[in-house]
Amino acid sequence: MRNRFDEQLLQLNNELIKMGALCEEAIAYAVKYLIDHDADMKENSIDAERQIDRKERDIESLCMKLLMHQQPVATDFRMITSALKMISDMERIGDQAEDIAEIAEYVHLSDLSARVHITDMAEAVVYMVNNCIDSFVKKDTEIAYSVIVMDDTVDEIFMKVKKELIEAVQNGHDDAESLVDMLMIAKYFERIGDHAENIAEWVIYAMTGQHDMNASY
Amino acid sequence: MHKKIFRSSMLVTLLVLLSSIVLIMEVLYEYFEKQLISEIKKEAVYISTAIENEGIDYLNDIEGENERITLISPDGTVIADTAADVDALENHIDREEVKEAIQNGSGTSSRYSDTLTEKIVYYAIKLENGNILRVSARHYSVVVILLGLLQPILVVIIIAFVLSFVLCQRVSKKLVAPINILDLECPENNQTYEELTPLLKKIAYQHRTIEEQLKNALQKQEEFCLITENMNEGFLVIDNEMRILTHNEAAMKLLDMSDKEPENILSVNRSKAFRKMLENVLSGVRDESEIESDGIYYRFIANPVFEEKQVIGAVIVILDVTESMNREKLRREFTSNVSHELKTPLTSISGFAEIMKNGDAPNEMVIDFSNSIYDEAQRLISLVSDIMKISELDEKSVVYEKETVDLFTLSLEVSERLRSEADKKNVKINVIGDTVEVIGVRKILDEMVYNLCDNAIKYNKDNGIVDIIISSADNKVKLMVRDTGIGIPISQQSRVFERFYRVDKARSKAIGGTGLGLAIVKHAAMYHDAEIEVESKENAGTSVTVIFK
Repeated sequence: MRNRFDEQLLQLNNELIKMGALCEEAIAYAVKYLIDHDADMKENSIDAERQIDRKERDIESLCMKLLMHQQPVATDFRMITSALKMISDMERIGDQAEDIAEIAEYVHLSDLSARVHITDMAEAVVYMVNNCIDSFVKKDTEIAYSVIVMDDTVDEIFMKVKKELIEAVQNGHDDAESLVDMLMIAKYFERIGDHAENIAEWVIYAMTGQHDMNASY
Repeated sequence: MHKKIFRSSMLVTLLVLLSSIVLIMEVLYEYFEKQLISEIKKEAVYISTAIENEGIDYLNDIEGENERITLISPDGTVIADTAADVDALENHIDREEVKEAIQNGSGTSSRYSDTLTEKIVYYAIKLENGNILRVSARHYSVVVILLGLLQPILVVIIIAFVLSFVLCQRVSKKLVAPINILDLECPENNQTYEELTPLLKKIAYQHRTIEEQLKNALQKQEEFCLITENMNEGFLVIDNEMRILTHNEAAMKLLDMSDKEPENILSVNRSKAFRKMLENVLSGVRDESEIESDGIYYRFIANPVFEEKQVIGAVIVILDVTESMNREKLRREFTSNVSHELKTPLTSISGFAEIMKNGDAPNEMVIDFSNSIYDEAQRLISLVSDIMKISELDEKSVVYEKETVDLFTLSLEVSERLRSEADKKNVKINVIGDTVEVIGVRKILDEMVYNLCDNAIKYNKDNGIVDIIISSADNKVKLMVRDTGIGIPISQQSRVFERFYRVDKARSKAIGGTGLGLAIVKHAAMYHDAEIEVESKENAGTSVTVIFK
């Protein structure tokens, strides 16, 4: 019986890694589409989002099965509950990546001054998502903490982008719609950063059993 | 074993106890009965004498408690009885003892009473007057006696039980003790029951066999480890839950695993292509895929492992194919470049020829066209011959004869050959140095110096200078070709030796050349184990040095 349980836990771990990898791909595709406008990338991003949704359901039912049939305790129990929380964050990341890909169609970074900062932001967010999945994969709280710290940087860049966009509006930029879209994209990135931070916190919780109380949600 | 021995010996003792009680009872009972019979016989004799002397009335005086005396006439009618009313008694002629007495003079028999609690013993004798005197006595059956003796018997049983319990316990412990202290590590050294010797021998034999097998297995494993550890290829074995069962050093290096042992293959790499490969191989399909990460190309060869038609895992071999991928890329580029370079002159040849074919062109134009066609054809020829040279050098299999070559004389010859080219641009060629000999292939060295000088002239400015400096120091021979030409930008200096690479693509047509010159130089130098150094400043000049070791 225990043996079966261990196997299922391993399966849960593997599925989570796969879902995390899908998230990384979804956001990477979305960023590539935003920067290069390669139509394939948009398709890929949407496809990844669908797969993420499927994975979320699979993992959810696996977690439920584990909770009902095996009645896990202590570390195992924490692992499963944090998995349940993590997948909803991952699912949100997938959704927002898709949203970015959809909006990006109407945004042309080349003619905007905020371009540099929004690419910085994309880079930082991709880095965060990669690292929060990495921290889970390697069960490394150090990496998880670095993700939490990184979120502040993303927030800062968001403020910068926002300021620049406001300036552009005040200066009477021709394409107001594009500016609003840009702001939304920046906000999505910021949200993805938050979700990545959440995932990192759940990783820390699963491993240490402690919530980081100082962290901002 | 202890329990078993205890239980069985206990059982045996109890059985023996019980059966001995029963047997003793039986024997005693028989003895009592015999005693009783002899008693009533004596009694019967006395009574018969008494009756014969005193008559029937004697019977009436006898007050028997246990005995009952009956007088029976020869026809069976009861004449007198001490215990019952004579009239109520039936005819006794059928009674066994009576019959016997009539025949033999005396007879015995015994019968159980209806309740089985008593046994009645009869003895009958024939009197002189023909009447039969019967004496009977009752005595209790075994069961009743047993019941009577119940208390002492129970006491005996309990004492015996306790005694046998203690003794059995001791005995069984003592029996088992030597088995318990057996030293199974060296079974043949034990002094114990001889019945155990064959077993111990067998154990010793199996001991040796297991040890040998273990040794073999360990050796096999060591061999396996040695092989896998010394492989350059990464080697991984995973089970169907994606756990890593075995991995070698190379796999760790190739996959950039950190020093801690990774448990799960997905924690090593979770890229899409890798996941796809794992999925394939764990569904039983062999997979071979190339995955790029950080500019390094890996080839993963994954084979599923089957047991009873079920995939139980996979063996993955990882190769670093970056080099061959790069070579492949170069080859592809070369092929596309060659076709492009060949096509350009051919297109113009075909164009000119087409115009002339129609016969519309005036005569003077035809001469012009022919000149152009001739030029383009010359270009094609030189291109093809360059390509041939370079493929010859590529092809290591072609063996040239090596000889001693004087670089100074060779340079002088080359400069003579290029004199006319140089004169066109008013470039002056100086050959500086002394006779220095190297061992090499004259043809290839000639090609090398020729190409270097040719470039030095082509990319020179008008009224420029080309110096060919030959020197030797520290067993090293240096050949430097220095010009005062346009130079090569620093960013492109590393690429000029690539095939068909042109610094200034726009002007290359005007200057001519195939774009293969420096590639040939590089190959020629490589052929002679020589190094090439480039120093260049834009608009100041370039110097290329070939250092022979």
